[in-house]
Amino acid sequence: MTGSRLPISSALMTPPLLSILAFGLAPLTIVVVWSFWSWDPSTYWIKPDLSLAGYAGILEAGRWTVIVSTLVKAFATALLCLLIAYPTAYAVHFLAGRRLSIILLALITIPFFTSYLIRSFSWRLVLGRTGVLNSWLQDIGIINAPLDWLLFSNFAVVVGLVASYLPFATFPLLLSMRRVDPTFLAAAQDLGAGFWKSLTSILLPLTMSGIFAGFLFVFVMVVGSSTEVQMLGGAGASIVSVMINDVMRVANYPLAFAISTIVLIVIFGLVLIGNRMFGLASLFEDQSP
Amino acid sequence: MMIREGLSNRILLWAITIAGLIVIYAPPLYLLAVSFNPALQPGLPRLSDLSVTWYAALPNDRALVGALQQSLMIATITAVLATGMSLMAALAYFELRAQRTAWFLTVILPMFVPGVIQGLALSAVFTRSGIKASSLTVIAGHLLWAMPFAFIVILTSFAAVRRSYLTAAADLGATWWRQFVDITLPLIRPGLISAFIFSFLLSLNEFTRAFYLAGRQNTLPVVLFGKMNSGASPVIYAMSGAIFLVSVACVALASLHFMLRRN
Repeated sequence: MTGSRLPISSALMTPPLLSILAFGLAPLTIVVVWSFWSWDPSTYWIKPDLSLAGYAGILEAGRWTVIVSTLVKAFATALLCLLIAYPTAYAVHFLAGRRLSIILLALITIPFFTSYLIRSFSWRLVLGRTGVLNSWLQDIGIINAPLDWLLFSNFAVVVGLVASYLPFATFPLLLSMRRVDPTFLAAAQDLGAGFWKSLTSILLPLTMSGIFAGFLFVFVMVVGSSTEVQMLGGAGASIVSVMINDVMRVANYPLAFAISTIVLIVIFGLVLIGNRMFGLASLFEDQSP
Repeated sequence: MMIREGLSNRILLWAITIAGLIVIYAPPLYLLAVSFNPALQPGLPRLSDLSVTWYAALPNDRALVGALQQSLMIATITAVLATGMSLMAALAYFELRAQRTAWFLTVILPMFVPGVIQGLALSAVFTRSGIKASSLTVIAGHLLWAMPFAFIVILTSFAAVRRSYLTAAADLGATWWRQFVDITLPLIRPGLISAFIFSFLLSLNEFTRAFYLAGRQNTLPVVLFGKMNSGASPVIYAMSGAIFLVSVACVALASLHFMLRRN
């Protein structure tokens, strides 16, 4: 049994590894290399002359402000998602009975596999001038005229982002709560600790890896998102992925590749640091013997 | 497990949970309701007005039907490939010891690559190497999007496979293949079915990669995106509503089946 282990696992790894290399790692590496090439007007493509023009372009035309505002949106969305997801994970794991927790789990799973495009688009019906929210607020007399800032604004974008990526925070939190030994909490209760006391002194520290993973997942998904801004953002609203789209449209390849390189470094850096510090992989790995 | 909390704390926790679910579900469900309204202006239909007018108009829209066929074909092939690849990846993970975490991260990392960047990178490389954009290029992009999810689902279903079962079978002379077919495969079958359904839906609903990689025949989300930005029409609501409903039904069935089996 032990002798045949290694060859079998390498044979099994080969097809998935090849497709990850061919369709993932190789094209991304090529793009990173291309980001240092220079634009060639005669072929309408790039040529292998070392150039930092792409990276210099990031500092022009206020492009770096888009990068900063993307990071701010990602931070805000991740924080909001944690504030909603933590109580949700707590309710699913500690409060709900078996049947209810299965239903809630299914409800949290479904959004991963539905269309982000359709879900973003549907917010237009809710937040628009004649949308549900405006007519409802007018009906109960809180406002006299429809609020214009509800749709095609940063507010709409952040609401859409939270709605899109909330389950990415809930899942790691749930996984981390499953690993908490319930006797710790029961012991704390027996010793007279109230809800808030045992939350802050026991549960929060023990679920730190889930909190970090949830924050990271949402942050990374927002940095790579584009549909929410395209559907709900105001005139001139942008986010890194939309900016890459716009730059590609005018065929400024070195710039598009340079922005992509920066984004990839930020994302992979965060994921790998997160794995180092909090063992992201082990959150999922415990599932299998 | 259940824990006793004070009433006010429980109300607070449940209120936030419900608020989160409303944020996720209320807008698409409202869109679904609007799609049954025969009026041109979007709004909730009265019960007596419920109508499938806009759904009946869908088959007449040539662009949508062509895109739907293309998307279904791409999603099916993607689901077959992603499930097969993830099964191999999960089996390898099960066999590995020391390099487990590295292998896990290798398979999972493509999930974090932004769609725009993966789409643009693949499309640039394909164009430069003379590969024309087609359904095959979309499948290449969708495979890496679906694989991490399929991998996690299959890995979760491996919890049912006890190492002692395999050791016992090996002691009795079963080869690796025999152990796989007679023990592992039946135990992880619900995971494989879920992985197939999830990969299918991820591909069916994927927009940003397909935007870069689709050839002459666009996929459904790409066509929908164009229509959404060129003015609202009830047909968009009907198409979106139908896709949303089918996706929800598939995942709900798959996850309920999967979770009930596991418990």
